This record gives sequence, C-alpha cells and structure tokens, in this order.
Amino acid sequence: MSGQMNGRRATSALLIIFLVILIVCPLLSIFAEAVFQDGHFGFESAAAAITQSENAAMIGSSLLLGFMVVVVSSVIALPLAYIFSRTNLARYRFFDIVFMIPFMTPPYIASMGWILFMQKRGLMQQLFPSLAFLSEWFFSFGGLVLVMSFHVFPFMMTMMKNAMLSVPSVLDEAGAVLGVPFRTRIRKIFMPLLTGNYAIGALLVFVKTISEYGTPSTLGRRIGFSVFTTDIHRYATVAPIEFGKSASLASVLIGICLLIWMLQNYITMKKSYTLISGKGISVKCVKLSGAALAAAVIFIAAVVFFSMFIPLFSVAASSLIKLRGYGLRAGNFTFGNYAAVFMEDTQGINALSVSIFLAVSSATIAAVLGTLIVISVRNSSRQLGKIIEGISLLPEMLPSIVIVLGIMLFYNSVYKVIPIYGTIWIMVLSYVILFLPYTIQYVTSSYSQISQSLLSAGRICGGTPFCVFRRITLPLLSRGIMSGWMMTFIIAFRELVTPSLIAPTNTLTVSTYINRQFEQGSVGKGMSMAVICILFSTGSLLLLNKAVNRERR
Amino acid sequence: MKKALIVLALLSAFMPAFAADSGIVTVYMPSPAGLANKLAADFEEKTGIEVKTFQGTTGEILARLETEKANPVADVVILASWSDGLSMKESGQLESYVPANADRMVPGWIDEDSMLFGYSASAVGVIYNTLIYPAELDADWNELADPQYADDIAIPDPELSGACKDFVAGYVNDFGWDTFEALAANGMVVPGANKAALEAVTTGEVGILLAGVDYNAYDSMAKGEPLSIYYPESGTVVNPRPAMIMKTAPDMDNAKAFIDYLLSDDAQRMVTEAYLLPGIADTEYDNRSTLDEIPQIECDWDEMMEISSDAAARINELCSR
Repeated sequence: MSGQMNGRRATSALLIIFLVILIVCPLLSIFAEAVFQDGHFGFESAAAAITQSENAAMIGSSLLLGFMVVVVSSVIALPLAYIFSRTNLARYRFFDIVFMIPFMTPPYIASMGWILFMQKRGLMQQLFPSLAFLSEWFFSFGGLVLVMSFHVFPFMMTMMKNAMLSVPSVLDEAGAVLGVPFRTRIRKIFMPLLTGNYAIGALLVFVKTISEYGTPSTLGRRIGFSVFTTDIHRYATVAPIEFGKSASLASVLIGICLLIWMLQNYITMKKSYTLISGKGISVKCVKLSGAALAAAVIFIAAVVFFSMFIPLFSVAASSLIKLRGYGLRAGNFTFGNYAAVFMEDTQGINALSVSIFLAVSSATIAAVLGTLIVISVRNSSRQLGKIIEGISLLPEMLPSIVIVLGIMLFYNSVYKVIPIYGTIWIMVLSYVILFLPYTIQYVTSSYSQISQSLLSAGRICGGTPFCVFRRITLPLLSRGIMSGWMMTFIIAFRELVTPSLIAPTNTLTVSTYINRQFEQGSVGKGMSMAVICILFSTGSLLLLNKAVNRERR
Repeated sequence: MKKALIVLALLSAFMPAFAADSGIVTVYMPSPAGLANKLAADFEEKTGIEVKTFQGTTGEILARLETEKANPVADVVILASWSDGLSMKESGQLESYVPANADRMVPGWIDEDSMLFGYSASAVGVIYNTLIYPAELDADWNELADPQYADDIAIPDPELSGACKDFVAGYVNDFGWDTFEALAANGMVVPGANKAALEAVTTGEVGILLAGVDYNAYDSMAKGEPLSIYYPESGTVVNPRPAMIMKTAPDMDNAKAFIDYLLSDDAQRMVTEAYLLPGIADTEYDNRSTLDEIPQIECDWDEMMEISSDAAARINELCSR
C-alpha cells in the first residue's frame, strides 16, 4: 500500500515539474526580461517603462475601456437575462444558441465587419447616405466600447440568467404576501441576492476586455487607441524591438488579472447565499403583455440586429463585392473572391490546412494531457492536487498574449537545448498550453459525477487498476473529453494571438491570413476566408451539440 | 485503437509539408505577395532549391531580423526601401557579391560595395478616385494643401511603407517641411500601410492618396477599379528595392544563386508583370509609365538615410493632431 502511495506521489511530483516547465517557466521569463534589462538586475528600467507618460496613459485608457465595457454590456445583458429567466419569453430556448453567435464570432472578424460598415463611404453610407454623421462618431472610444460590449455581453447574460433562475419565487411571494410593492421587492429581495453573481460577472467581463487583442488590434488601431495587449504586441514585433518594455507591461497586466481573480474569489466566499436546498426551487414566470411585451421584443430584436446582423452582413457583403470602388451596386457581385482564396495561389489552402492541423493536434494533445492531469489531481493528496490544478488553470486566468510572450521569450533563450523556436511545433505547444484549461474543466465536471462505489465495485470484481480505468473511468469520462476536444478545436482553429506573435516563416493560419488580406491584400479575399471560418466553427459547434445530446439519451 | 489510428491518419493528412533540410533558401520579402510567390515557384522549378519566404512590410521584416539576431534564419532579405538597405549595410549585416548581369543594371541601382541589388523599383505618385474626381487631376504636391481637397487626402504610413518613407525623406531633404505641414493642416490622414491606404482611396473613404506606390495602383486599375495615377511635376522618388545577402546566411551559396536569379531575364519579366520597374536596364515593358517618363527629385541617399526614420515618425505625429 505504501509503495503505491509513493508511486502516486512520484507521479504527482513529475507532473508538477512538467507543468512548471510548460507553464511557469515562460511566465517567469517575462519577469526576468522585465527586471534584467541591459544586462543588469534592477527594477528601475521596468518602473521607468511603466511610468513613461505614454505607457501610463495607455494603462489608464485600458482600465477605462474595461470599466466602460462592463457598464455597457450590463445594460445589454441584464434585461436579456431577466427576460429569458423570469418571463414567459423564457420558453424560447433557441435564443440560448442565438446569443452564442456573437460570442463565437472571432472578435477580429466582427470588428472588421463594423469597420467596413461604418467607414466613410462604407456600406452604411451607401445604403443610407443620410446616416453619414454616425461614422464620425463610431470611429472613437465610444465605438470601440460598443463593439467590445456586443462581443462579451452573452457571457454576462448567461451567468446572470442562471443566477436569476436559482432565485426561488417563494422569496418574492413572501414579500408580496406581506404587501411589499413590486419595485421594492426587486430592490430589496431580488437584487441583493444577485449582487454576488453580478460582481463576479462584471469582474470576468473586465478581465476579458483588458485581455482581448482582436478588437483593439483592428478597430483600436484604426482610431489610434492603444491598450495593454496591442502595446505588448507592438514592442515585441515592430522595429525597434523592445522585449524589456513588452515584458514590463505584461507583468503589470498579470498583476491586475491576479488581483481581480483574488477579488472574485473573495466575493464568491462572502456574498453567496444558499438558495438551493432540498425542497427544490420553483420559478414562476411573469407574464408579459401589451407594452412590456412589445418593449421586450424590440429590445431583443435590437440586440440581435446590432450584435449579429450588422457585422455578419457586412463581412458577407464585402466578400461578394467584385470591385471595391463601386461598392454595393447591382452587377458588382461575384463569388470570384472565394475562388481566388483557393485558386489564385496556395496561401489560402495552406492557411486552412495549417489551422486544421494546429486545431486537431493541439486538441488531441490537450485532451490526453488534461485527462491525465484531472486523474492525478484526484489521486494525489489535496495540497499537491491543488498545486497541479492551479498551475494548469493559469493560462485561462491570464491574457493569452502574456502567455505567448512568455513562451516566445523562454524558448528563444533555451533554443540551444530545445530548438523549437521558429518551427510549427512551438505553435502546437503554445496552443496546448492556452487551451489545456478547457479540457480540464470539462473532464473535471464529468469526473465529479462518477461515484467512488463504481470504481470500488470494479476493484472488488478483480479488475486491475488499469482495467478499472479503461473499462469504467474512461468510458464515463468520454463525453467530457469529447466536449473539451471540440471546444479546443473550435477556439484553436481561429486563434489569432499565437500566430501573430510566433508563427514561423512561410506559415499563415486562417486568422493571420484574414488579417493580412484585410490590411495588405484584398479585402474581398480576406472576408471570404472570414465567412468560411465562421461557417466552419458554427458548423463544428452544432455538431458538438448534437453529439453531446445524442450521448445523453 | 481504431480511433487513435484515425486521429493519426487525420493528423498526417493535414500536416503541412516539411521538406528535408537540404537545399533551401530563406527569403524575406515585401509585397506584392503574388510576385514573391511566382519568383519563389519559378526558382524552385529551375534549381530544385526550396524557397522559404516570409512576407511582410519593411517594418515587419526589420523587426523579424532583430528578433532572430541570436539565431539567424534569413539568407536573402529584400526591402522596399533603399535607405533601410543602406542602414543594414552600415551596421555590417551584408555580404558583398558580384552577381551575373550586374553590368546590365540601371546605373546607381547597385551600390559601390556591391551589397545592395536594386532588382526592381517602385515610384510613388498621386493616386485618386475617378468617381470623386472625374476630371483629370494634375495638382503638384504643395497644391494638394488647397482647401478644395480638405479632409479628402491621405498618405500611407511611412513607418510601415518603405517607399513612402524614402519619398518623405527625399522631399524633406530637398524642400523642407512646409508642404507636409500644410497637407497635415488640410486634414491629411494615415490609413495604414500601402495596401490599406490604397483601399481607402479605392472605396472612396478619401479621394486622393499622396505618395501611394504605383505598382499597386496599376494593378487595381487593370482590374477595373475607378482609380488613376500621376507623378506631380516637381518630381518624386524612384525607389530601387534592394535584395541583399545576409552575412549570417545559413545557406550562402543558395543565397547567391537566388540573387543571380532575380537579375535573370525570366525574373525581370515577372517583375514587369507585377507593374514594378525592372532593375535590368534593357528589359521591355509597356504596361505603365517608364523610368524616363517619371519626373524625379534629386536624391542624396546617404543624407536621406540619416533622416528617414525621424521624418517618418514626424509625418505620423503631424497627421495625428
């Protein structure tokens, strides 16, 4: 027995060493790069980089952007969450999927769509010349906030919807019986019960916003608005290269994110109420009618129009326009751009196959590694398990640009030992690290549903540990593994940050192809690839849904 | 087991081809992408040497070289800016070589140390949207600061576009800053690198693009976009695009072979097909303005190299106000 214990401890120790090399070392090289500048140790240069007036201004505007996106996405998400949890419109479940669309559309594609729509003499002005004054307004901080809010609001909406669903109607009814008017009930009963959840949702939206690279790198660049992620990218890729500054900014960003996660943890502990007890909950729906119903429907339609219709219409229309100079005009439409993506040169095909290769390989490796991690977390002592889990979830807590910068710095410095910098394998590695948390979360949730007694039964019947694992654990985990694999596949397929920082020569992915065509080549070809990318990931997601549902039956 | 096999099969099917490590040449080159790909394919076919390319703007290529200083990868580097080539030479990064056909090159498009080979060239001109300006336009640079063009003029980002950067340096070196200050005051914007700037004038976001590279414009015009180009009479900068061999080239012989190839008649024909000016003087072309038709300002490349980066930054600063 003690031999087995030692074996387990050794496995956990090995796994920790492995994860430290994989995840912690790259992060440490960021700090090292920030404090060792010009060959000597010191915080002066890092501090100087941060307090430099333009960087200080950038930090300020990043935080302001995060705050404003929280405000605007709350305005969009809270009414929707209420409508779809506590009114009679809640039974239209298919909106759950509809509102995933803006979240699933890669942010860089959505912002390109917005740019093409709103720019001077762009699609909007061609359709409605009288709205020209909006363009001026759109290419500003306000427009950036709006576009980013339309991307992240589904996230907050889902969280708040689930929270509202778990507030039982009895509490409200108790208030009503005691003669408390509706507004006061909302203010005194409903809202206090939800503040904890809202705070968590708001913090998550904030972190997501200041970590986002896609929208700031397209729309933000247009209006000359730089944030953490774009400056980290610029210092690391545009001559003159200044890794030190890049690393200093990344360190600050890491600090902010960790602080917010701690705050979030604190709120979760302090501000949660036990709402679900043995009695089960019943949620009664408010029946909307008349003006209230009309307002709700108009609100839903407006959100769908702005968050989905405009960017997708604009991308699709631009992909079909033959001559950009003539715009939307009868006879100026063609499928030629799609043909050009595949026929004109091999770049389009190559970009697609590189993206598929990266998505399949990283999803597969992450699935295996993630499953191993979950199993060994379960089998090791609590402390070791916590360490393993903590490290492997780090990539989800931190902005991906920071992780990729760390990988870039670390593998550049150990090139003599591990010569993968500048090859496609460093991309595979980076994808695995970035998306490992997806597998871990999905597998953990299926693992927690497996009863210990099933495993004991297997052992009693004489199964070896391996046999029990293969015949009982693995089949029960397969749905979690499968969901994790698909999720990784979809996200990895369109990943932008890794390839734009460390793609080797000659290697374009779908995302960098779209970006390059949008900025340097043919907008028509870029938008055709964008449409292909959206169809591909939406199709995969629907397949995933179908597969998961079938297994459940 | 079966599943594992299927995954493996899928993986190998999507695996991008990694050729064997022998016989390659790594070339960093700027747009146009079509030309880069054609040259690479033709060279591969003729010599059997595989060409690995990295395509980017001049700024991106310089950044890449800096990142890879510790582990050099590039054999041949092509830039769109002669002055950036000169500064690479000054910092001792280049190998000297006398290519075949060197004697047939346009005079001055090869430097005295035989390190920069101007295998092609572009010029910048004024590109305008013919839907917005149906009458023929021929305003000189300083005349575009006239109020009738207010808020309808743009310039490519000279920090990203080598050709634009050299024009700015050359013009400022000869005539000072008055014109650009007046243009900026007239609402000139910087929409991005060459292609993004051309896109802005094509879609009519602005009507006139100053210092846009000509080959992009000729290409769009041939496709039928409503554009036209002219070279203002006070002159422009014709910018030879230097191909250079890195001192640290891992495949030196292949690098030299690639330079020879760039100056061959076949490669030069492809250069003219991409609407660029050919580096070999006697190459024939009739799809664009010829070299002697373009009015040029006097260029002192050494002085331009000194001021070009600061001048480029200054343009962005002026226009962001």
